[in-house]
Amino acid sequence: MTLPDIPDRTPTRSAEHAVFIARGLSKVYGTGDARVFALRDISLEIRQGEFLVLLGPSGSGKSTLLNILGGLDAPTSGTARWRDHELTGASDAALTTYRREHVGFVFQFYNLIPNLTVRENVRLVAQIASEPMPPDEALELVGLSHRLDHFPSQLSGGEQQRVAVARAIVKRPDILLCDEPTGALDADTGRLVLAAIAKVNDELGTTTVIITHNSAIAGMATRVLRLSGGRIAEEEINPKRMSAGDVTW
Amino acid sequence: MVNVLDIKLARDLWAMRTQVLSIALLIAAGIAVFVMSVSNYFALVGAMDAHYRNERFADLFASVKRAPVSLAERIREIDGAGMVEPRVSQAVRVVREDSELPISGRIISIPSSDQPLLNRLYLTGGRWVDPTQPDEVIINAAYAEARGVRPGDAIDVVLSGRLESFRVAGVALSPEFVFATRSALPLPDDRNFVILWASQEVVAAAFDMKGAFNDLVMTLAPGANKAAVVEEIDSLLAPYGGIGAYDRRELPSNRLLEDELAEQETLSIVMPAIFFGIAAFLLHVVLGRLVEAQREQIASLKALGFSKLPIALHYFKFVTAIALLGAGIGLVLGRWFAVVVIDSYRAFFRFPVLEASLDPWIAAVSVLAAILVANAAAAVAVYRIASLPPAEAMRPQVPAVTALARHIGAMSESGIPMSYLMALRTIVGRPIRTLLTISGIALAVPLVLFGLFWFDAITHMIDVAFGRIERGDAFVTFSTPVSARALYELKSVPGVMLAEGQRIVPVRLVAGHRTYRTSLVGLSDNSELKVLRDPALAPIEIPPDGLMLSRALAETLDLHIGDSVTVEVQEAKRPVLHLPVVKLSEDILGFSATMDLAALNRLLREDDLVNAAALKLDPTASHLTWQRIQAKPKIEASSVKALWLTLFDETIAGMLVVGALILAGFGLLIAVGVVYNSARVAFQERAWELASLRILGFTRAEVALILLSELVFELIVAIPIGLLVGYGLIKMIVSLRIRESFQVPVVIEPASYAIAALVVLAAAAASAFVVRRRIDTLDLVSVLKTRD
Repeated sequence: MTLPDIPDRTPTRSAEHAVFIARGLSKVYGTGDARVFALRDISLEIRQGEFLVLLGPSGSGKSTLLNILGGLDAPTSGTARWRDHELTGASDAALTTYRREHVGFVFQFYNLIPNLTVRENVRLVAQIASEPMPPDEALELVGLSHRLDHFPSQLSGGEQQRVAVARAIVKRPDILLCDEPTGALDADTGRLVLAAIAKVNDELGTTTVIITHNSAIAGMATRVLRLSGGRIAEEEINPKRMSAGDVTW
Repeated sequence: MVNVLDIKLARDLWAMRTQVLSIALLIAAGIAVFVMSVSNYFALVGAMDAHYRNERFADLFASVKRAPVSLAERIREIDGAGMVEPRVSQAVRVVREDSELPISGRIISIPSSDQPLLNRLYLTGGRWVDPTQPDEVIINAAYAEARGVRPGDAIDVVLSGRLESFRVAGVALSPEFVFATRSALPLPDDRNFVILWASQEVVAAAFDMKGAFNDLVMTLAPGANKAAVVEEIDSLLAPYGGIGAYDRRELPSNRLLEDELAEQETLSIVMPAIFFGIAAFLLHVVLGRLVEAQREQIASLKALGFSKLPIALHYFKFVTAIALLGAGIGLVLGRWFAVVVIDSYRAFFRFPVLEASLDPWIAAVSVLAAILVANAAAAVAVYRIASLPPAEAMRPQVPAVTALARHIGAMSESGIPMSYLMALRTIVGRPIRTLLTISGIALAVPLVLFGLFWFDAITHMIDVAFGRIERGDAFVTFSTPVSARALYELKSVPGVMLAEGQRIVPVRLVAGHRTYRTSLVGLSDNSELKVLRDPALAPIEIPPDGLMLSRALAETLDLHIGDSVTVEVQEAKRPVLHLPVVKLSEDILGFSATMDLAALNRLLREDDLVNAAALKLDPTASHLTWQRIQAKPKIEASSVKALWLTLFDETIAGMLVVGALILAGFGLLIAVGVVYNSARVAFQERAWELASLRILGFTRAEVALILLSELVFELIVAIPIGLLVGYGLIKMIVSLRIRESFQVPVVIEPASYAIAALVVLAAAAASAFVVRRRIDTLDLVSVLKTRD
């Protein structure tokens, strides 16, 4: 299978405004001596349409940051805002609505519903979206038009993850959050999944955030944030992005 | 050192405590019913045996008009006779200023100095009569309690038409009157029926029986030929107006008691068997699923090198712990219910000692049964999983993609919501589990229904027996047969609207080797106050000739329409008649034989005589009406329907309510156990999936719907099945108990079906609520990082 070409993009897209703004985010687990800082005073902005990779080893805080971005976790201090949605302090119902209307998730272990077919897994999410794309179109976008009526157990890991991508984008989310999307995959299938994610970012303009400890993936990003000890240790803007096919690990 | 697996065991038990408890309660329900029924049955049998033995209950009973005491000597000489005791026994009336209604009674002679030889009295209060005080009597405890009469109180008795005042010396129980009943009534009427024991001299003098007797009680010598003894007694007593000796089995109190015990015996086997069977099955379902949910752990243990045996042992310990907890709760509950039920029996069964007891063997059997059944239930699942290669077992079980599941896919094109599709796929993907869960829920329904059924049956019985068959408001009997003209006198009493005469004669029915002692009732063909009914409750006309038997009596005697039956009349000239059975009636109370009044008079070669009358009273009639009726000559006894119904409510209904509530409670417990476990395991299996959906933007309600629509489907299928099974079970249990005292009809009101269904639905709703709360606290973040 040939991978779609990813056109070069200039890293400077400052004209596009920030859709996600975080100020002074901290996350502390435990109390007293047992306190663990997952995030320490992080501020960042994510801009419309960018392809952001959060890179870091285990315990660097990248998952916590993704959870706060996705409305799954609340910071101990600081504020996080998605456009006009204030995420800090929002109710469970409000966060559910936020995820439902704006966020697409791709999990490390796909998390497909085993007793629904490929098409049905995608339709499941389409049913709760206000203006979804046709499920078949989402599956075509990830190159799975030929496996619509298979059950997840009949697919390879890479295929399952691409179903998960299709499921995430079918509701036309504003932001796609991918948690170690290639973590459970070998390099070849991993590249197919990354290509699908890149295509979504490119063709639909969906703001994309990938968290990974695999630094090779950083080459695909428009911007890379390296996290360490709960802080942003380094910010890097890719002058020239790699295509998924060129990523090796 | 503590085995690490045992530490896991303890933690598993704690972590799953709600589930563990609900399963233990399931076991407890089965054990409790077993303990309660079996120990109560033995308590009753033990109490009866002890009472009969200690108070020397007679084997044979006989009545005569008047026989010389010397005749008793000849009876003692009969080969096979044991102790023989002649006595005087006579129906009397008791007068109480505060009683609006008539009180009838029976006075029986006793030696003034000491206990009688047979049918001794067990004094519960006061003392024996003083030989120097001729006005002293002992009265039965049931009446004393019902009327609040104490030793020292006065009691006014009409003896041979004269009002005599007695003083109560003692209060006693008698094996002859465990149930003090008047002939026609299958229930004791403690407030309005009293037994008086007075000294031989007093009773003999009052009834002109000096040197004579009119009643005889005796025992049989060991190894005696009862039939031969009875035959000899009958021939000796016949010249003195004997109406045939009879066995204690035919004594009303004992007959009712044995009926009741036979029923208890059936129920003490059948009910626990059904209950325990259902509990065992449900245990299989819930424990199977519980173990199934641990398949990855089992696989991991195997992968780590544990062999099947320690793994199996681990789970056997696990279920044994649950079984022991259940058995423990069951024993305590069962014991407690046994005490409650025995308490409710005391108003009904009058024994000197009636205590709930818990025999060690009952406890041992309960515990053993609980352990065995629980282990058997879990063994299948443990064995299946432990036999899988670890790698396979570690993969979560994916429902098979069956042709049916694919077919359901086609439905998804038609716009069915995905949540229903997911539920349907799970249901058909694991058909066996679905079937088991449906069966489990279905089986909880009959248990609740069984409790409710008793109320319907009783209501129906009362309606049929007292609304449709016995339609009179009151009933009087005459001391000797009177001309039908006497009815005009009754009718002339203000307040009496209608009086219908009946001729009631004691008879022995003989059909082949089967015999039955009952009353033959002669009814006029236009009888309005007693109307026999067919199975559809339509009135049956009295046939001009031949006999009409209640269906249950015909079955007991193996008689069919057209068969001939020998009727040995036990009164007057004691003719032996041969009559055809021409019709069958549906009776509720007692075993009746009926025929046309005129035909009966003819067969007895007598004029138009009656010896009982059914009365219809003006609803506004006062107690003056009663006083006037009782003042009529020859009125011996009387009863009032309203009173009888109250009595029924107080005794039988009380017992039934206790039993029904316990059964319904257990049914509810089982319903909760099944539904909760089923929902809880389903949640456990799919928590990861559900959390994923929550992250994808599904609301709590939507996610709950996905999980619970499976439960809803199972309920929709299970409840109607459960109601049908309930009907079948009730029919079966009722068919196991043909009682002479009353036949229980299989009548279940729609409301009972509805309540049984609602109870199970409520159990389901409560379970769903608990599971729903778990959905609310799903840990979403962990789902991102862990594989299922």
